[in-house]
Amino acid sequence: MRTLSGVGTTPLSGVGRARWYRPEAALSLPERPDPETVDPEAEVERVERARDEAREALAVARDRTADRVGADEAAVFEAHRQFLDDPQLVGDIEDAVADGTLAEHAVADRFAEAVAQFEGLEGRMAERADDLRDVRDRLLRALLGIDAVDLAALPSETVLLAERLTPSDTAELDPDAVAGIVTATGGRTAHAAIIARALSIPAVVGVGDGLATVDEGVDVLVDGEAGEVVVDPDERRRASAGGVEAPVRTERVHTADGRAVEVAANVGRVAELGPAAERGADGVGLFRTEFLFLDRATPPDEDEQYEAITAALAAFPDDRVVVRTLDVGGDKPVPYLDTPTETNPFLGRRGIRPSLDEHADLFETQLRVLLRATASDHGDGLAVMFPMVARVEEVEAALDRIEAVAEDLDAAGIDHAMPELGAMVETPAAAFLADELADRLDFLSIGTNDLTQYVMAADRENEGVATLHDPLHPAVLRAIDRTAEATGRTDAWIGMCGEMAGDPALTELLVGLGLDELSASSVTVPAVKARVRETDADDAAALAERALACQTREGVLDVLDRS
Amino acid sequence: MERTVEVVPDAGLHARPAAAFVRAANEFEAELTVGRPGEEGVGANSMLAVTGLNVRNGETVRIVAEGDDAAEALDALEAVLTTPVEGKNGESDSEPATDSGGGEPP
Repeated sequence: MRTLSGVGTTPLSGVGRARWYRPEAALSLPERPDPETVDPEAEVERVERARDEAREALAVARDRTADRVGADEAAVFEAHRQFLDDPQLVGDIEDAVADGTLAEHAVADRFAEAVAQFEGLEGRMAERADDLRDVRDRLLRALLGIDAVDLAALPSETVLLAERLTPSDTAELDPDAVAGIVTATGGRTAHAAIIARALSIPAVVGVGDGLATVDEGVDVLVDGEAGEVVVDPDERRRASAGGVEAPVRTERVHTADGRAVEVAANVGRVAELGPAAERGADGVGLFRTEFLFLDRATPPDEDEQYEAITAALAAFPDDRVVVRTLDVGGDKPVPYLDTPTETNPFLGRRGIRPSLDEHADLFETQLRVLLRATASDHGDGLAVMFPMVARVEEVEAALDRIEAVAEDLDAAGIDHAMPELGAMVETPAAAFLADELADRLDFLSIGTNDLTQYVMAADRENEGVATLHDPLHPAVLRAIDRTAEATGRTDAWIGMCGEMAGDPALTELLVGLGLDELSASSVTVPAVKARVRETDADDAAALAERALACQTREGVLDVLDRS
Repeated sequence: MERTVEVVPDAGLHARPAAAFVRAANEFEAELTVGRPGEEGVGANSMLAVTGLNVRNGETVRIVAEGDDAAEALDALEAVLTTPVEGKNGESDSEPATDSGGGEPP
């Protein structure tokens, strides 16, 4: 395994078999003949025909790009056509051919001058050189009668390697077949990178000359998030990429020594339920109900909410579905809720706070929906959790509300039961109060994105403090450990939802920290399940001990062998 | 006849704006050149020549037209140079520093 670094331009990962694309290599020109033996008229005609052919191909590429990517991205092909019809270039080529130069050489020579004009310059000018090469190669292929490598028909799980990719090359790629793109040259804003991004193809560009050492046919992992290209990746690195799927296991999994760990899915929309079930999720660990409330003019009514909750229960008839009550405010303003502008929204009216106060009516409706749903088919799997709790009083107030709603339903003769109740641990306060919270609840679920933000005092969205926002910092790990340990002394179970739970490279650590449940985006469920099965609980506990003893993030990375 | 115009599109005279400029120039009979004031212009109907000027956003260029439809040609070319790039984000035409920004609505 070895790693090359470049610029990640599509923040996705994929693994596949390396395939080199070397369009230049195929374009070897014939010997230059004696000018006396060349028929200028025939050559002029050949140039004309080649231009016609290239013009048609450009129109196809433009239409395909407009269709698959967008009109903005397709516009680059209009620029290519302008180069193809450039009076200066065409005039020079025709002059050379009239003097007895073979069409291929006339094209190559004249374009070489034009490319040289732009080559080696920064930014936009260097991109023009790429555009010119693209047009030149089209003309040469037409003249030489060579079909371009059919990029539209690459075998599945191909990682395409190239010195550079033109926009038209990139637009031809089939996102279902291509697991990644790696180029030696290029930058984030190059047209090819933009098209790759729009096609959701993992891409790393600007890797440099080292790329040439990667052989055809080897396995390559493209990590467009980290800007890394891993040649011959090991199993763990593969598992961390979306490209290689661990086998889907619909059954519950245990560690190698028999400890049960639930692996559930985080879901935001009803449409995500089916895919989560297909990937073998043990239920829903986090159903984000705010998506029912966002992007609309008025709040959803009781029936609409009821349908969404029962759909989730139906998708997981034998599993638990943890529904988080409304979590708006902060970074999730809702227009019709008239959220106030706050100086520090992440430290303001968000999570459970508005539900217990200014949005008590919405909260009550939601609790009513949830209690009614417990009496529906599979309603015994329902669990409810409250977001961003900081005080015991908040949990007690929420429990009072749900009791009150239950009494109302009783009075109205509407069937219901009390679901499992839990809270999210997202604030340092909740981690310090985990004992007291767990005493009053059935479960706690650690939200690592926010917990990290608040423990490290580093805004999730602020790139200036991005290195501080790392759940692997010992301070965050100790907050998780404290929460899990305190919960373990009660009857409550402890889960984790958030990105950290979905990183298979961290599964052993999280099992070692004592988590009973991991809930992640459904894409990563099979890989996390696979890791649980490989984990030995005692080894995991020892690993967690070592990580917790570290003083720095680097120390933790060393322990995890991730440095 | 001639006209001096400040270039509005973020990308300057590159990619889409240049293609639109060249396409417009090709629609007229008039002999059209474009260049920086005080320098000799290049053929406005050549993509190669126009992008080779490397004119950036905010720079001023002088367009010279000779021929029957010179006035109309100048109007058309000025319109291209003073129209911000259309489209939802203009990403492909903006400088790296403004990756998320780009063209304003026309």
